[in-house]
Amino acid sequence: MSAAGLRCPGCGSSNIVDDDLYCQAQRVCVDCGSVVSEGSLADDPIGGSDVSYSRTTAVTKKPCLNLIKGLERVKEICRILRLSSEIEDLALTYFRQAYVHESFINVSLQRKELLAGCCVFVSCGQRDWPITLGTICCLLNADQTLVGGVYQEMMKVLNIQAPFINITDVIEAHIQEYKISAQHVPEELAEESEALTKRAVALVELAADSWIVTGRRLLPIMMAATYLAWQSLNPNKHRIRFPLSKFCQVAQVQKRTTATVRITELKQALCKLGRELPWIREAVTENNVVRLVEDILDHRHTLLARALKNHEKAKQDDCTQTDSSNPLTGEVAPSQLSESRDETANASSRVQPCPQNSRENPEGDVDDDHQGEDLEPNWGKRVLFAPPCVIHRKRRRVEQPVQNVTGDEEISDSEIDSYIRTPQEVRDFTLMQNMVSVSDSGKA
Amino acid sequence: MDSNNDEALDIIVTNVVATFRTRCHLNLRKIALEGTNVIYKPEVGKVLMKLRKPTITASIWSSGKIICTGATSEDEAKLGARRLARCLQKLGFKVRFSAFKVVNVLAVCSMPFAVHLVNFTNNNRPIASYEPELHPAATYRIKHLKATVQVFSTGSLTVTGPNVQNVATAVEHIYPLLYECQKPRK
Repeated sequence: MSAAGLRCPGCGSSNIVDDDLYCQAQRVCVDCGSVVSEGSLADDPIGGSDVSYSRTTAVTKKPCLNLIKGLERVKEICRILRLSSEIEDLALTYFRQAYVHESFINVSLQRKELLAGCCVFVSCGQRDWPITLGTICCLLNADQTLVGGVYQEMMKVLNIQAPFINITDVIEAHIQEYKISAQHVPEELAEESEALTKRAVALVELAADSWIVTGRRLLPIMMAATYLAWQSLNPNKHRIRFPLSKFCQVAQVQKRTTATVRITELKQALCKLGRELPWIREAVTENNVVRLVEDILDHRHTLLARALKNHEKAKQDDCTQTDSSNPLTGEVAPSQLSESRDETANASSRVQPCPQNSRENPEGDVDDDHQGEDLEPNWGKRVLFAPPCVIHRKRRRVEQPVQNVTGDEEISDSEIDSYIRTPQEVRDFTLMQNMVSVSDSGKA
Repeated sequence: MDSNNDEALDIIVTNVVATFRTRCHLNLRKIALEGTNVIYKPEVGKVLMKLRKPTITASIWSSGKIICTGATSEDEAKLGARRLARCLQKLGFKVRFSAFKVVNVLAVCSMPFAVHLVNFTNNNRPIASYEPELHPAATYRIKHLKATVQVFSTGSLTVTGPNVQNVATAVEHIYPLLYECQKPRK
């Protein structure tokens, strides 16, 4: 059969037939025998294979390039952080395992890089070399929420657990960053990192006891502890007046804005303990507490027990109900600290019903618009140390409670009319809209 | 409610999300023109309407699907939804109030003790997860109730669930687990 409309370029005849050469389709001119057109020899799909690389057999023969790159990235991160070969091997194993899982095989390259960072983070945690997630975020230059998402996905996929990071473990590594030793700064500002670490660890432990650490980011607290430790190791006038921003500049670290808030909170906690020092005659305020930090930290446990006891006593004096079976008697030695803490806890829970009765609400399971909440005893005001979020509790907007709503009540017309514009209002509104749009287009 | 303690816990429902359908197409421009307390968002394709009496914000789509948020009880959500449907009816649409469903309830509750989150997570893996650097609360998901409880170290809880009953049951469920991991408040 002839293909209509085609002319042979050699002889000009229109007598062209389909004459396939084996599997290749060809159109041949009958008169001169030249091939006018031919099909492709092989049927390669346009735009690459229909089957993705990960599903082909090529995976076993040639490893994925991105996997190789990812493994290199893991090694890089380990080298930057100067981690041991054990941690590096563990991270590489985790990366290989997670990479081939369906949650990570087809994701963007950015997520694969974050996966590399998270593998390193988990391996460090499991091999007793804690680093913070913030460090990984800095290294990968990524947003903490993204990293967090990838991290949680990876933990689910690999079904592993990482131990919780204790701030005291991380603070030593953090202080290494500060260039505040004698070789970097002048003599009057210098401190050795061991002394600094020891003091900062004690401060951080105090902070952990007094609700400053729970639920907060680690870096600002560590910065605040380091700064206060540095000030208190040599509390002369120059150091006490030295601002945090200048300290960070000298030590060549980036200042965190929330560190100033943490410094205030730490100082307040220190003041509460400083007041219990028996040899102090003057009032202990945030301005002069830095000089006393060494003494406070040395006798931390005794001071804490004393402070709690005095606080309890003051509360019981205020309270109208007297609790006759007061378990606290005499001086409490540091070794009996745990018992005294339990006793004070019991005493405070017993004293609890004293100020308020509004909480004894028998139908209190699901109480909407509970106005009694305003009167509810704020436990932050009753105990010596409480988290700042409890002490400065947000006042919940108390609305007029809609009484006895059943959901099936009658809705009056007047109520509904208040939500609808009158025709006059509609006309005015349209007019105004037109005027506004005209003036906008006039300006543009 | 709680048989294992002598003080009743106050569970305060702070938000109820409900959806319903009007079974008719809605002209968003008309609603934006003739309704008061209305915000038109043409880029998203919806209208936000705020009611005063039960303080409710409704997202209205032209398909007739409406989501109401901001109520503090299931009944209030239903009342608000009906009020909204009446309002749309008055605007001239052939509205039929159907498929009303409470989708999500958010409640807060406060334990009378602080909680040691690390112990709590270790005791309840893998149902509980806690990542202190990411979020200060431990998350506990109760599968059979489809509820999620977020526990903070101060003892405050945030509970989300499909209805108020599930939320209350979730708090009952988690109370003993928290009780054994309590931290004495200094």
